[in-house]
Amino acid sequence: MIDPQAVKAKMGAFLKIPLERLQDNATLSDLVHDSFLLVQLAIELQEEFNARLVQEDLKDVRTVHDLIHQVVTHEISADDE
Amino acid sequence: MVDENELWILSFYRTSEISGALFFGRLARTMKPGEIQRDMTKHFSDESMHAWYWTACIEKLGAHALKLEQSYQDQYLAAAGLPVNIMEVLAITQVFEKRVIGQYSLHSSLPGLDPEIQATLRKIMQDEKWHIEWIRDALKGLESDYGKERVETTLKRFGEADLEVYRKTTDEHTERLQELINGGRRR
Repeated sequence: MIDPQAVKAKMGAFLKIPLERLQDNATLSDLVHDSFLLVQLAIELQEEFNARLVQEDLKDVRTVHDLIHQVVTHEISADDE
Repeated sequence: MVDENELWILSFYRTSEISGALFFGRLARTMKPGEIQRDMTKHFSDESMHAWYWTACIEKLGAHALKLEQSYQDQYLAAAGLPVNIMEVLAITQVFEKRVIGQYSLHSSLPGLDPEIQATLRKIMQDEKWHIEWIRDALKGLESDYGKERVETTLKRFGEADLEVYRKTTDEHTERLQELINGGRRR
């Protein structure tokens, strides 16, 4: 099972943002101004945590919590691999 | 000497090649080593070289490349939404590469085209064929992870966005592209 705190820590390390700024309700568009960086972040989190997301999953994602939730709930199970 | 409209078009191509190189360059650094990352590194090196070819071509024509704020890819992302996994990245790139090769092919068919531009277009189109091939093969390989239907649906969705962006671009730059558009209608 994916640890939400580990996802947050990875986000902070990848974006070079201190964890205290990565509040659950912080909006991603305030934290990341570069859309390419968001693409990289999504791929980085999927590779790191063995999750699989598609565009629809992130359609309504606005906050740090929303993104973490999507990663945690889209872990690839052994059956899928 | 290149005229103002042609200089804009060549600079537009150059800017898009730079954007493509940067996009794949950054992604390649994020990805785990493997076949896709291997081919992606060659791909972004090609795109970077293409930008250099366009710069050299423009300079041989006695001009300097224009600095353009937006590339074709920026408009893609706005129309299609951000791709969020490697399959979606490759799908949007596949659609884009087909558009590029179609555009370059149309441009190279223009009567009276400067030989320098013609040679640059032909050189780049050779690489673009390989880009389409490796991405097609990679997408085939990703069908086992994402499902054949999802890959096909994603390609279709991005294809529709491509049409929208192409129409918008031709509408916005009708005057500059008129010669190319007319060339396309004559084909």
